[in-house]
Amino acid sequence: MGKRPENRVDKIVSDLLRGRRLRLRGEDADEKEAITAAARLVAAGQGVQRMHPAFRKRLAAALETAPKGGWLTRRAALVAGLGVAAGAVTGGLVGRSLDTLAPGPLARGVPVNPEPGRWVDVGALTDFTVGQGKRVTAGAVGAFVFRSSPTTVTAVSSICSHLPCELWWNGGHGSLDCPCHPASFKPDGQPTNQAYGLVALNQVSVRVTSTGRVEVLGT
Amino acid sequence: MSTEPGPPEGQEVAGEGAGEVLELPAASRSTAIALDELELVYAFIYARVGNRPDAEDLTQQVAMKAIPRLRAGAPATAIRGYLFATARSVLGAFWSTRLGLSEVELHEDLAMAIPAGPPSEEPAERARRILDGLSDNYRRVLELRFLHGYSLKEVAAEMRSTVGAVKVMQLRALRAAAKVRLDG
Repeated sequence: MGKRPENRVDKIVSDLLRGRRLRLRGEDADEKEAITAAARLVAAGQGVQRMHPAFRKRLAAALETAPKGGWLTRRAALVAGLGVAAGAVTGGLVGRSLDTLAPGPLARGVPVNPEPGRWVDVGALTDFTVGQGKRVTAGAVGAFVFRSSPTTVTAVSSICSHLPCELWWNGGHGSLDCPCHPASFKPDGQPTNQAYGLVALNQVSVRVTSTGRVEVLGT
Repeated sequence: MSTEPGPPEGQEVAGEGAGEVLELPAASRSTAIALDELELVYAFIYARVGNRPDAEDLTQQVAMKAIPRLRAGAPATAIRGYLFATARSVLGAFWSTRLGLSEVELHEDLAMAIPAGPPSEEPAERARRILDGLSDNYRRVLELRFLHGYSLKEVAAEMRSTVGAVKVMQLRALRAAAKVRLDG
């Protein structure tokens, strides 16, 4: 006969708090929600984790011996935050050693220029609160519009530059947060955490008309 | 039913500007790039299993499964998307094996589901928001146990209760925490 669920779960919690593996048995399936909540709380209590140097070294050794093709494209290298000089983006780099490419500043997100594009009315300027982001759609273009001052607006894409997920406006933190992974961006599209080497969000063209309407360049 | 993701297809990303394939003369350089991508995967996995040994094993599985299958010419978004799809698959298999459940049973509520909450905030803040959704007693027992590292005895003393009662309360609090949704 198995142990009582509170004892089994506490054993799992105790192991997790000691940094041990999850050692589960079939009967623990009844408490899967409690167990996964415990694992997430333990992780949350420890902050964002990075690979231990020894593990990183082991993983590097394993990757060196794993079969791999030429999977890394120039675009991938850029998005991965390698920071290739802008002039190198458009030509002449194939075959050049990556060792010559030092990490550099993150690229600013390229503008979204739909073709054919058209200006789409997304509301009155007064509908936008200064300092707050508002999700709008201009045809196929999704964007967050920010009223940066009483008379000006800016806009960035609503799609994360890392995983293709819809961002959400976290008004409390003043950031655009990705629901798919730990990434967030400032209203100007720059990532809040430079450690992950994310590229900035794509810029979206936006304007205020003479009649006080906000228009976004969409489709 | 397999949850194994297929490798990113070249034709799916044709419009993304797949780019020319860089020749990678130094293996260590491409490995360093892969490791940077895998740091994200590691953090993602760790946040779900809560311990280093399992997170390391699963991250290595993701690396060994995904990296060799990435196609030449795949853009970064496809590479990262594929790594995370593989991570979800590996996590699903992990929970499935450990709990003796089919991956179909796990699909909706565990590793495979996209988090409903805002995971971009600091983990401690996320924990705080979960705890704030609980009743006072449940919040207190989880705070003491998970955020302050109290033993059961210490929690019992702090809450003027017994170890047995705290164990039961801890289990009920975790069940309740699993139901807290961080949508707002």
